[in-house]
Amino acid sequence: MPTMEVDGQMVSWEGKKTILQACNDANVPIPHYCYHAGLSIVASCRICLVEMESPDPKDPAKMVKLPKLTPSCQTPAVDRMKVTSKSPKAVANQKAVMEFLLINHPLDCPVCDQAGECYLQDYSFNYGRAESRFEEDKIKNPKKDIGLHVLLYSDRCILCTRCVRFTREISGSGELAVFGRGAREEIDVFPGKTVDNPLSANVIDICPVGALLDKDFLFSQRVWFLKSAASISPISSGGENIFIHHNHGRIYRIKPRFNADVNKWWISDEARYTWQFVHENRLHACHRMQYGSFVETSWERAYAQTTEDLQKAVRDNGPGSTAAVLSPFASTEEMFLHAKFARSIDPQAWLAVTPPRIDGQDQVFKNPATGAVTFTIRAEKAPNRRGAEKITAHFGGNACALEELAEKIKNKKVMAVLASADPLPGMDKPVLAAIGAAPTLIALTSRHTGLYEKAGLSMPTCTWAEKAGVYENCDGRIQAFQQAIDPLENCRSDGRIFWDLLAHEGTHSAAAVRHEMAAAGLADYANVAIPQVEKPLEVMEFSAL
Amino acid sequence: MAFPGPILLKRIPAEPGGRHLHRYDDYVATGGYESLKKALAMPPADIVKLVVDSGLRGRGGAGFPCGSKWTFLPKDIHPRYLAVNFDESEPGTFKDRYLIDYDPHILLEGIAIAAYANSITTSYIYIRGEYHREAQILEEALAEAYSHGIFGQKHAGTEFTHNCYVHRGAGAYICGEETGLLESLEGKRGWPRIKPPFPAIAGAFAKPTIINNVETLACVVPIVEHGAAWFKAMGTPSSSGPKLFGISGHVNAPGVYEEELGIKMSTLIEKYGGGVKGKFKAAIPGGISMGILATNQYDAELDFDIGKKYGVLGLGTAGVIVMNDQTSLPRILRNIVRFFSHESCGQCTPCREGTSWMHKILNRIVAGRGKPHDLDMLLELSQTMGAMPGTTICGLADGANWAVKTFLQKFPDDFKAVVKSPLVAGVSVPMAVTVSGAAAAPAGV
Ligand SMILES: Cc1cc2nc3c(=O)[nH]c(=O)nc-3n(C[C@H](O)[C@H](O)[C@H](O)COP(=O)(O)O)c2cc1C
Ligand code: SF4
Ligand code: SF4
Ligand code: FES
Repeated sequence: MPTMEVDGQMVSWEGKKTILQACNDANVPIPHYCYHAGLSIVASCRICLVEMESPDPKDPAKMVKLPKLTPSCQTPAVDRMKVTSKSPKAVANQKAVMEFLLINHPLDCPVCDQAGECYLQDYSFNYGRAESRFEEDKIKNPKKDIGLHVLLYSDRCILCTRCVRFTREISGSGELAVFGRGAREEIDVFPGKTVDNPLSANVIDICPVGALLDKDFLFSQRVWFLKSAASISPISSGGENIFIHHNHGRIYRIKPRFNADVNKWWISDEARYTWQFVHENRLHACHRMQYGSFVETSWERAYAQTTEDLQKAVRDNGPGSTAAVLSPFASTEEMFLHAKFARSIDPQAWLAVTPPRIDGQDQVFKNPATGAVTFTIRAEKAPNRRGAEKITAHFGGNACALEELAEKIKNKKVMAVLASADPLPGMDKPVLAAIGAAPTLIALTSRHTGLYEKAGLSMPTCTWAEKAGVYENCDGRIQAFQQAIDPLENCRSDGRIFWDLLAHEGTHSAAAVRHEMAAAGLADYANVAIPQVEKPLEVMEFSAL
Repeated sequence: MAFPGPILLKRIPAEPGGRHLHRYDDYVATGGYESLKKALAMPPADIVKLVVDSGLRGRGGAGFPCGSKWTFLPKDIHPRYLAVNFDESEPGTFKDRYLIDYDPHILLEGIAIAAYANSITTSYIYIRGEYHREAQILEEALAEAYSHGIFGQKHAGTEFTHNCYVHRGAGAYICGEETGLLESLEGKRGWPRIKPPFPAIAGAFAKPTIINNVETLACVVPIVEHGAAWFKAMGTPSSSGPKLFGISGHVNAPGVYEEELGIKMSTLIEKYGGGVKGKFKAAIPGGISMGILATNQYDAELDFDIGKKYGVLGLGTAGVIVMNDQTSLPRILRNIVRFFSHESCGQCTPCREGTSWMHKILNRIVAGRGKPHDLDMLLELSQTMGAMPGTTICGLADGANWAVKTFLQKFPDDFKAVVKSPLVAGVSVPMAVTVSGAAAAPAGV
């Protein structure tokens, strides 16, 4: 493996890399602004300049020192190279660039959302100078509303052009450009355009400073109060890797989490902004129907009634007269317990899966210049259809599509249904239509849905943010997600509920269920990698960007 | 060999009344397109060698050897392009315009020869936006050349065909920088490119491209006519051939004159420029990005070694701007920096912010609100942004810095005189250490 020395540390890499790329991968810090691993290299911010020596191609024993500072983001790493970002010349350049970037920058930190995760702040501290020597008037550029989700504070912009390159190279929509020239230039949208492509909010993440801000998150929380959980987006079958940022049991925002094979550095706006359902319209008690009206009931009584109702159906109508409806929003572990419980009462219980909503076609984004696919938003709007299919296949026996189940209910073949409801608003319509008529309907649901209205018994469940587990994305990739917040008041996850109903010993955990699954022959679940968050507020490391 | 008399300007008499635009027939009647004929009878590689041997260096500002630039083209990648740099936006520079105003076909002939020599099938003449008249002249000359078979069809006895187009810029100085030019030519914002890849490998439309100045290509015509030795006999060993000098400022006869490289500035000014109006104080050797020559550097030899010898950036475009002792150098410098700050493409942090900062400081100084430490700040800025080699993508920042640096170093007293003492009594501001301690400019070798 080729190896170079950077500031006294040995850095190795494979394949073709620039100096900065190799250093980023090896966690050796070199400051950079305009460079982003997912975008083209422009080498314009000039803060990454280093001094370097490399072996003379003619006489490899000899080292040649370049008299010039070299942009590390642009210069290929060469075996046996010696690089320093700490020489007096390199440091003088870093200080100069920091000073230049700050002369027209407002003193906004106290009112700026980016404060705390701002690379102007961090680099000022690490590479800048303490005092300002600028005695002239600052250029004041306006604040602009440039899109559905995005606000631009142009006076905070350092003109790294990452956002412009994103719209040109990743979303392919090209709404943003640099207007004007010299110190008066500004980022702006083309006349009559707004930044409203389905990936638009990624520009907020890649903006190193507080110039592009999220309207949804604006002034809602100081970032240093936020805590981070590594999760998987439940919004589509792509399984975009995300961080959930939360505090005191509330979600404040969702950020992308890098995964080279799935979503790279990006997430769709849909995945980013569809989380309000976690906090809206939630159920907080078990309810049962009594004399035509809902009454609250305890978890103990709900559990008892669930078992009794199902057993009664089997007693009265024989095996095969009950069904379990799995939700593709549940984790695979939950579905495993769900099916297991159903079969423990009725060995011929029918297993059915709510089909995910399909929104048209997959949306494929391409770099217009190269034609390379940059991102895909999946049309299938549920995270775990494949997990559900795997569980159904694993248990074998009676399984049917939801429409078939509807037939069986109509023909009085199936008399009792235990259904897990999809958590997203409006998604339970097909299930409701199919199984609403079942004489005995028990619903596990997180919110006031149609299913809840129809169910003789309902239990308040958790959304994905309140639990851990695994989803299997459309490409068959099994991905684990961490629990972000505690279950909301009196809610229990599907997993916990079935764990209790099955009278399993010990405390319920997704890991314990995976253990059980592996033992039952689902080998894929023996060693699932669990993403870890090392710092309280984990965002994508800038050095990885 | 002494300078034999006008070569590029042979069709343009010195007295204004005698000048006229040479159309195709005039051009041919005075020996035009003979070099092309001669060239077409030679193997292309021999022409490249001829240009290498002539020692011709680029006339656009950087002085890069023209022949070696041509040899950088990779062997087998086609199509390849020639981009002719007629952006001529450097203040004090008007030589290319002068040539085209009267003798556009010499450029077209140079283009045809260069294209043949380098197997180029398409050329673009990139002309600055404000040159309306010259664009018109070139379009007309091109139409004539097309109708006489210089472009657009096979030349007798060869397989060589070649097309040439005029592309008008929109009036940005940065589009004269060769890769800014290519971006603009491609219809993009004129932001200089990072190198590598160099244009000879991936230039216009990602294809191998040669970029040459108008005058450089015009020089190819007499080189083919008279040979490399003849060309090399003029000028100095490292700076061969004739050169167009534009003289402006405080002289009695401003204009474009042709002489051999290496001529003393004093000779140029006195023999051609009619002498200095008043008492000589300073001069800019070649466009404002080159820095300034001090009062005691009046005799500087104008060639490509001027930079090292006289503490300037280089010969640049050889657009000499002469200033007499009535000139306020702080005002001149303010105007120069205003230009660079206005024309900075804004890509590189040091150039974008640094030029604007220096401009603001100079505005204050000129308005009488300068402080002694402003001079140190200016000097420091001019030595970090761009001038610290490698800190910017293109040479514009260097241009701004060399102006600031050399003005302050060579004329410290002019600047100290205009910066007042601090207004607040009792607050001591350290005197400009570097400025006051600056060594006197070298008197030349
Ligand atoms: C900021 C800047 C502006 C320039 N403007 C011009 C110009 O207007 N005309 C020109 O011929 N060269 C200009 N140049 C030089 C070109 O980059 C390039 O060196 C030249 O066109 C090459 O041609 P030559 O080798 O024939 O001189 C400029 C360079 C810089 C850095
Ligand atoms: S808005 Fe942000 S990402 Fe865009 S150029 Fe400015 S600093 Fe860079
Ligand atoms: S040095 Fe100045 S003009 Fe040249 S590319 Fe950088 S910002 Fe643009
Ligand atoms: S110039 Fe290298 S990161 Fe910006």
